[in-house]
Amino acid sequence: MLFNSLTFVVFFIIVVALHNAPFFSWRIKKFNLLIASYLFYAAWNPPFVILLWLSTLVDWNAAKWIHSATNETRRRLFLLLSLATNLGILGFFKYGGFLLENFQALMTAIGLDYQPAEWGIILPIGISFYTFQTMAYSLDVYLRRAAPAKSLLDFSLFVTFFPQLVAGPIVRPSQLIPQFAEPKKATPPQFYWGLGLITIGLFEKIVLADSFLAPAVDAAFGASGGLATLDAWTGVLAFSGQIFFDFSGYSTIAIGAALCLGFALPNNFRFPYAAIGFSDFWRRWHISLSTWLRDYLYIPIGGNKKGPVRTYINLSITMLLGGLWHGASWTFVIWGGLHGLYLAGERLLREFTPKQDWFSGWPFKFAMALVTYFLVNITWVFFRAESFSDAMLMLSSMFGLAKDAQKVLYLNEIIPAMLVIGGMVLTHWGMRSTTKEALIAKTPTWAIAAVWTFMLFMLLITQGSDSAFIYFQF
Amino acid sequence: MPSFTSSSDNAYPAVKTSFFDPEHVVRPVPDRPWRAILLGAVIATIALMTGWEIYWRGKEFVAGDFKNTAGLWTEQRNKAVGDATVFIGSSRMLFDIDLDIWEELTGERPIQLSLEGTSPRIFLTDLANDDAFHGTVVVGLMAPLFFTTDGGLRAEVLNYRKDETPSQRWDHQLSLNLERYFAFTDEQTRPKRQMSMAPLPLRDGMKPRFEPRKLEIMTADRNTEMWSRLINDEVFREEAKAQWEIGLKLFAPPPNPDGSPPAPMPDFVIDEVIGSVQADIDKIRARGGDVAFARLPYGGGFTPAEDFGFPRERFWDRLLSVTNSVGVTWHDHEELQGYDLPEWSHLSAREAERYTRAFVPIFTAQMEKAKAEGAP
Repeated sequence: MLFNSLTFVVFFIIVVALHNAPFFSWRIKKFNLLIASYLFYAAWNPPFVILLWLSTLVDWNAAKWIHSATNETRRRLFLLLSLATNLGILGFFKYGGFLLENFQALMTAIGLDYQPAEWGIILPIGISFYTFQTMAYSLDVYLRRAAPAKSLLDFSLFVTFFPQLVAGPIVRPSQLIPQFAEPKKATPPQFYWGLGLITIGLFEKIVLADSFLAPAVDAAFGASGGLATLDAWTGVLAFSGQIFFDFSGYSTIAIGAALCLGFALPNNFRFPYAAIGFSDFWRRWHISLSTWLRDYLYIPIGGNKKGPVRTYINLSITMLLGGLWHGASWTFVIWGGLHGLYLAGERLLREFTPKQDWFSGWPFKFAMALVTYFLVNITWVFFRAESFSDAMLMLSSMFGLAKDAQKVLYLNEIIPAMLVIGGMVLTHWGMRSTTKEALIAKTPTWAIAAVWTFMLFMLLITQGSDSAFIYFQF
Repeated sequence: MPSFTSSSDNAYPAVKTSFFDPEHVVRPVPDRPWRAILLGAVIATIALMTGWEIYWRGKEFVAGDFKNTAGLWTEQRNKAVGDATVFIGSSRMLFDIDLDIWEELTGERPIQLSLEGTSPRIFLTDLANDDAFHGTVVVGLMAPLFFTTDGGLRAEVLNYRKDETPSQRWDHQLSLNLERYFAFTDEQTRPKRQMSMAPLPLRDGMKPRFEPRKLEIMTADRNTEMWSRLINDEVFREEAKAQWEIGLKLFAPPPNPDGSPPAPMPDFVIDEVIGSVQADIDKIRARGGDVAFARLPYGGGFTPAEDFGFPRERFWDRLLSVTNSVGVTWHDHEELQGYDLPEWSHLSAREAERYTRAFVPIFTAQMEKAKAEGAP
C-alpha cells in the first residue's frame, strides 16, 4: 500500500481509531497493529506475506537458540541459520537474475553458449529493509548486545510494523521492541505533530518529487543520445532532489504515522545536501542504513582498528556492498564504490592537510558543501542511469563532451526543477545545524498554520499520484 | 545492556552498545498550540479548495467526469466476457459512438475499451487469447495508428490489468467516489499538467511540444463525449487544433535525406499486419464470436495524412477483403457524412448521438447480411 494513496488514508483512519478505542486491551491493540501491518503489505501482493512470516519465525527461534546455546559452535550455527535464511531470501528474489545474467556473460566470455531460462521472479517490495532489520536482531543477540525478546507478538510487530516496513527507517530491535512492552497512545501534541510530519512527507513526495522534479528527470534520463550541458545538469540535479524528497518524504511519513500511534522512530535524514565531506554526508543521508552497515559490517570486519590499509579496504567493502544493497546492478556497485573512494580520499586529505584557521569560516564550509554536493551528483548519475553506458553518456553530456548533443528539456521542466533545487540547497544549508522541531518551536503560530495550509492545499490540488516511492524497489 | 524486554534477566555481561542511540527514539514535539494551528489550517484549506473547485467549474470542468485511468479500463475489460459486444479502437471510437444510443437502438449496452493514441490491434489479440470471450468486437480503425504500431500511448493498460494489486483496485474505487462529486479531480487541473502546458518560450532549436488538450467527458462505464469547452470556447478550440498540427508533424514519417517524400509502406508490411489481425479474428470466430471494422469521420489536417498516406485500396479494402469482415466507413454512406468536427478529429457530443443513430442501422444491416450470406 502506498502512503500517497486514498487507500492509505482510509486504512490509517481505521488503524488510529482501533488503536485509541477504549475497549481493547494493549495485547488486542498490538494484534490489531500486527494484522493491519500484514494487510498493509498484502495490499501489494498477498502471497509475499509468507516471506515476512518466514523471516519472523526463523529469527525468533534462531535468537532464542543462540541465547541459550551452551557453546560457541552452536551459537555460530544458529546465527548462520538466521543469516542464511535472510540472505537466502534476499539473494534469491533480488540478486538471482543478476547472478544468472553475469554467469551467462562469463560463460559467453569463455566461449560457452549458455542460455538460461528467463528469470521472471518478482522482487517483493521492501525486502532489503525487513531482512536487514530482522538480521540485526539475531546479530545483536549473537554479539551479546541484547537479550532476545520475550514476546513473539512484540517481535512479529517489530518485523512488520507498517509505517517503516517497506522503506525504513531500518529500526534496531533495541529501538522498537521495548516500545511494545507498555501501552502506547499518542498524546494530543504528539498526534498533531505526527499529522504535521505526515503532511510534510507527503508534500515532499507528491508535490516536490513527483510534480516539480520527476518531469525533468524522466525527460533527461529517458532521452536517447547525448544531451546539451544544461539539460544533462538539470536532469541530474533534479534527480538529486527527486531521490531526496522521495525517500526523505517516505521516512518522514513513517515517523509521523508511528508518532500518531504513540511510537517513536529514528531520524533517517538530516539535511544531507549541507554535508561538508562524505563522512558528514553519510551521517545525514539514510542514517539508519549507514549506521547499520557501520555496526554490522564495517566494525565486525575490523573497522579502523587494524591499520590504515585495512581501514581503506574495509571502507571500500562496506560501501560496495552498500551500493549492491540498493539494487542488483553494476551501476549501483559503482555508485557505492565512488562513495567508498570519496570517503577514503577525504580520510587521506584530513590526514595530510595541516589545519588552517580559515577552515572553520563559513565561506570555506559553504564551498566545501557545494563541492560535496557536486561530487554526490556525479554518483547519482550511476544510481539513476539504466546502464553503465547510459551513465557515461550522461557524464560526458554534463561536461560538454557528448557528440550530437540535443536539447530535450523545455523551460516548463527546467524552471520548476531549478527553483526547487535552489530552494532545497539553501534550506539544507540554513538547517544544517538545527532540526525541524527546533525551527517550529520558534516560528510564529500564524506562520505554521499558513505553511501547513499551503502544503495541504498543494497536496489536494496535486491529488497524489500513482507513482510508487523509488526506494520500494530496494 | 539494552534488553528487548522490560526486564533484564540475561546472563551476559554488559557490553558497549554504540549502535543504540536513545536520542533517536525520543521524538521531541515542539511546544505549540497544535489544536488551534490544525483547526486554522483545515478551515483555510477548505476555503481554498472551495475557491479552487469554483474556479475550475467556471472553466467548464464538471463533477462526474471520470478519469480515463488504467483502473477504469480494467474494470470494463473484466466485463468483456461471454457474448458481449466490445468496442476497441482509438479516440474516435471513444468519442463518436454513443453507448446510450447504441443500447437504445440494439437493446444491448456495448463495452467500451477504446483508448486514445493506441492501436486496437493489441486489444484484439488480448480478446482473441481470452477463452472466456466469444462475443462481437467492433474495431475502430484509424489507419495511421492501426497499421504502423501494435502498441501506442496507452498500451500499458494490459500489463496493469495483469498486475493490478488489491491496493490499486481499492484506490480506483475510492477515487471514483471523489470524481463523482468534484470537478477539480480532473487530471488537467494538476499543477504538473498546468506547468507542462504553460506557454513559455521555446529554447533555440527545439520543436514545439505536443500537449493534447482535454477533449472528453467520460462516464463510469467509459461512455465518452466531447468536452463542451471545445464548442463554447473558440480560443481553446484553436489551441486543440494547434496541438494536432504539432502532433501530425511530429509523428509523420520523416522525408528522405534528399528531401523527397518518404516511400509508402511496402505491401509485405501491410500483409504482415493483416496476417496477424487475421489470426486473431480466426481465434474469435472459432469460438463463435465475430469481428467487424468501422472508420469514423475526420477532417482538416487529418485528411491529407490519412487519405494520401493510407489510401483505402491498399489498407482498408484489403483488410476487409482478406479477413472477410464487415466494415463500415463514413466515406461510403451519405448518412455518415457532413458532421461537425470541431477540432478535425472527433464529433461533438450532439453530433456523436446523431452519428450513432445513423451508423447503427447501417452496421447491423451489414452484419445481418453477412450472416445471411454465410460469412464466417
